[in-house]
Amino acid sequence: MAVHRWKLGALLCAVLATAAVASTAAASHSSSTPGVSKKQIVIGGTFPFTGPASLYKTIPAAEQAYYAYVNARGGVFHRKIKDIALDDQYDPSQTVPQTQKLVEQDHVFAVVGSLGTAPILSTWGYLNQRKIPQVLVATGDAFWGNCVHHACDGSTKPWTLGWQPTYPGEAKIYAQYILANKASAKIGVIYQNDAYGKNYLAGLKTGLGSHANQIVDTESYNVGDSAQVIAAHIVALRAHGADTLAIFATPTPTIQSLVAKTLIGWNPLTFVNNVSANRLFELAAASNGADLDGIISTAYLASPTTQANLPGMKLAKSIIHKYAPALDQSLAEGDGNIIYGLAVGWTFVDGLQHAGKNLTRPGLMKALRTMNETKNPFVYPGMSVQTSKKRTFPMEQLKLEKWSGGKTGDWHAFGKIYNGIH
Amino acid sequence: MRQRLPAIVSLLVVGGALAGLPFTLSGYHVGLAAQVGIFFVAVLGLNILTGYTGQISIGHGAFMAIGGYTTAVMSQDHHTNLVLTMLMAFAICFVVGLLVGLPALRLSGVYLALATFALAVSVPQLPLKWSKFLGGRDGVQTSKTVSHLWLYGAAWTASAILFVLAWLILRGRVGRAFRAVRDSEIAAVASGIELPVYKTLAFGISAAYAGVAGSLFVLATNGFAEPSEFGVVLSLQILVGAAVAGLGSLWGVLAGAAFVGLLPAVSSSVPVIGSDHGRDVVFGSAVVLVMLLLPDGFAGLFARVRRFARA
Repeated sequence: MAVHRWKLGALLCAVLATAAVASTAAASHSSSTPGVSKKQIVIGGTFPFTGPASLYKTIPAAEQAYYAYVNARGGVFHRKIKDIALDDQYDPSQTVPQTQKLVEQDHVFAVVGSLGTAPILSTWGYLNQRKIPQVLVATGDAFWGNCVHHACDGSTKPWTLGWQPTYPGEAKIYAQYILANKASAKIGVIYQNDAYGKNYLAGLKTGLGSHANQIVDTESYNVGDSAQVIAAHIVALRAHGADTLAIFATPTPTIQSLVAKTLIGWNPLTFVNNVSANRLFELAAASNGADLDGIISTAYLASPTTQANLPGMKLAKSIIHKYAPALDQSLAEGDGNIIYGLAVGWTFVDGLQHAGKNLTRPGLMKALRTMNETKNPFVYPGMSVQTSKKRTFPMEQLKLEKWSGGKTGDWHAFGKIYNGIH
Repeated sequence: MRQRLPAIVSLLVVGGALAGLPFTLSGYHVGLAAQVGIFFVAVLGLNILTGYTGQISIGHGAFMAIGGYTTAVMSQDHHTNLVLTMLMAFAICFVVGLLVGLPALRLSGVYLALATFALAVSVPQLPLKWSKFLGGRDGVQTSKTVSHLWLYGAAWTASAILFVLAWLILRGRVGRAFRAVRDSEIAAVASGIELPVYKTLAFGISAAYAGVAGSLFVLATNGFAEPSEFGVVLSLQILVGAAVAGLGSLWGVLAGAAFVGLLPAVSSSVPVIGSDHGRDVVFGSAVVLVMLLLPDGFAGLFARVRRFARA
């Protein structure tokens, strides 16, 4: 019997410990706006720290570094920003409880920067119903500015706002480039079989207009497909006679596509979408044997490698070094996601300043929907983050860039700045 | 009657506690309690199959996906009443479960487990194949969303009904047949039990339970159904829940459901050695701990306490 009692005791301890953790007091909030007190603004977001999209986890780290930097300089109207970043593994069934935790348990003022199309789609109804700002979401689908998704029945969600340029708009630029520089191109497209990939493909077709019949083949893959599957699609594109390749994919399949096309000795004019145009990813492709010179993409952020002398990039380096030293190395190698995180943090703080001392949720939305940021130091020089009643996509500018320098090369921007992308 | 009295009293106590819970908890915690109810239904269903009939399934997430998509699609395209979609999920998954039960006649043990595992992997891919109808990676959204309280009520009402149903099924002839199949198939056949009938029936009932759980699961996700919600991990969670509950007992199910329903939420707020994987570490070690201390799950613990009280 003694053994059993010992076991029971151990179990009881475990249960009590769990209960103690579970009952940690909910944050108290005195002011009328949740998450805002005299000394603090509590915000939160969900990100894939683990799981298939964990390559993006430097984004929340950079955002938190930026808030730490702002806090060290006195915060916004003497309020310090506290950012609670939770892991949702890029899985909507985890985004929902985590977002509910942020709202109902941590009483956040706003959900800022949450990442991924499906995670946002699974939570925007909930947040809009409760009139909680869901702002600067990290996905470039067109839904956030101009809702065409069936889930919003044709109406926009007033409390949801994007940040980066839209995917269809970006694809239109590739179409313009093709028409101007390679009018007789036979285009092959590999795209992700979801809203993300289809948005790109639709944008490319719109941009090509009457030349859309020059797309000789489109191949779609599913998230999680193996490198062999990707390679088979690349082989098929070549077999259809394509001499121009557009890769509308997430980082890992992009790397696999670039490697596959080199391995089969195919050298088409290649486009890589912006999401995958992060020097870190291209270096990974190169180290697996991909020939990168001449591939084309777009940029809207300053480059920490080729533009290291810009004041903004120097600032980025010092912020990261002081508040998130673990990211030092990936920033030095050109991880654009860190710059992305800093830029979004800058916009959010800018919004808080414009919302004024008497901070409310409608006040924040109003500020973020009438932005005129020409001085965000982390975006590409000459570009600005703007919103108005008519303009619902904060970032609507892009510049083309080309890879040169082989295995140790980098992206180099060229040409004019394209405006009004959406 | 005297024998049943403790059971009835504890049922009333549990039922009363559950009815009173929403009035004492915050909205967020009511949501968590609803989550437990959802897993209760799923674990209960798996327990009928694995605990009582001895057929292992690592694929119950697939049935949850079918149930969940039934609710999402019916609500989105036809604005069907949500409760009605749960009944449809029950019926559809029952039929699918019967069909899946057919290979179970030829497979057993680890081979059956592998076959059901294939189901868990492949079913969530179907929405990508038929993305026009099932939404693909963009998901499907119910036309209505529900409050925490609605979900709580629905989850625990379903739990109560299905618990009584399970009790009615298992106490009688069918339950005896299930147990006979589990204990020895040869002996069961020798006693005149038709293996094909009872094995497929167990699969059907179990799948139907998972279907209702899936339907509730989608409602808990603000009515948004998307393939990555129904990954392999979900199937494993249900299996862990059943193991923690203790196979072949209805009482442990509550503890098993609470374990898988609450632990991920609780452990995500435990700051474990600054690791991104803190939640997985806590969950994993808790499973190991429970299995070490309670090899028969919580059902075993209850039985032991009962013996202790009598001694």
